[in-house]
Amino acid sequence: MSPARTVVLDNEAVQALIDPAHRKHRRVCAVVEAVAARNQRRAGTVRLVVPTAVRVEAGWDKRASKSTPVNRLRTDDMPLDSATADRGAAIRAVLAVSIADAHVGAVLESTEGPHAVITSDVKDMERIAAHIGVSVAVVRV
Amino acid sequence: MWYGLWYNIAMDRRLKRLLDLLDSDGDDTVGTSVRLPANLRDAAALAAELGLSASTTELTVRGLRDALEAFAQRAVLDAHYRANPHARPDLAEVALAAAEIDASPLARRRDLIARAAKEIAAIRVDPSPDDVLLYAAGLASAVA
Repeated sequence: MSPARTVVLDNEAVQALIDPAHRKHRRVCAVVEAVAARNQRRAGTVRLVVPTAVRVEAGWDKRASKSTPVNRLRTDDMPLDSATADRGAAIRAVLAVSIADAHVGAVLESTEGPHAVITSDVKDMERIAAHIGVSVAVVRV
Repeated sequence: MWYGLWYNIAMDRRLKRLLDLLDSDGDDTVGTSVRLPANLRDAAALAAELGLSASTTELTVRGLRDALEAFAQRAVLDAHYRANPHARPDLAEVALAAAEIDASPLARRRDLIARAAKEIAAIRVDPSPDDVLLYAAGLASAVA
């Protein structure tokens, strides 16, 4: 067991994060706090990332209100560029997962591990991780 | 009270400015003079020679950005909790999340994490979630 280096937020985790009234908001804040605590102790230790297709699916428009703190949280957008689209398409062709989930899989392939994914869709994420051969801590939001 | 209100608004403005600067493209560069400890300067030069980094400048910029991002994240979270006090997780909740993202077996021992969070707060000032997990691991091995 090694400490996570990349933590990926999936759809419901993002929805819960951006809505303080969401019943799982505090739970996702705990994950963000865990990442922040590690980076406070040693800067740059853990990345908190959101694939852009997930952001679209979850409806997170960071321009909505720049004065709302949650829109300024330090998450890294992982873009759906050409190489990532190829990886995502290959995953989707085999597993028939959603575009956003395929993008999560592509991000897992291209970022530094160990990985964790915060998701409500544990089964699909475990399938994706097994398919791409990446060890992932799949955390139910 | 008015002083406190003014102070908070001023902090928010400065935080917003900090975030805007971190989010901007950063194509413009500026020469600056930074005093580095000689050992770090020499180690950075060797790291570049070994191909571990592009240059001392690249290492300095990366370290500075990582540190500023960490400060900014803490400040943004604190601003969020000021507006939404119910959203602030307690130490046990954060430690559990840390165990889960690490796929630690402790993630299945919420009872030990809760106990560790409570007990460590009595003996250590401002314990981190990882301090709690270390303490919980000690409890786990003691009861094994």
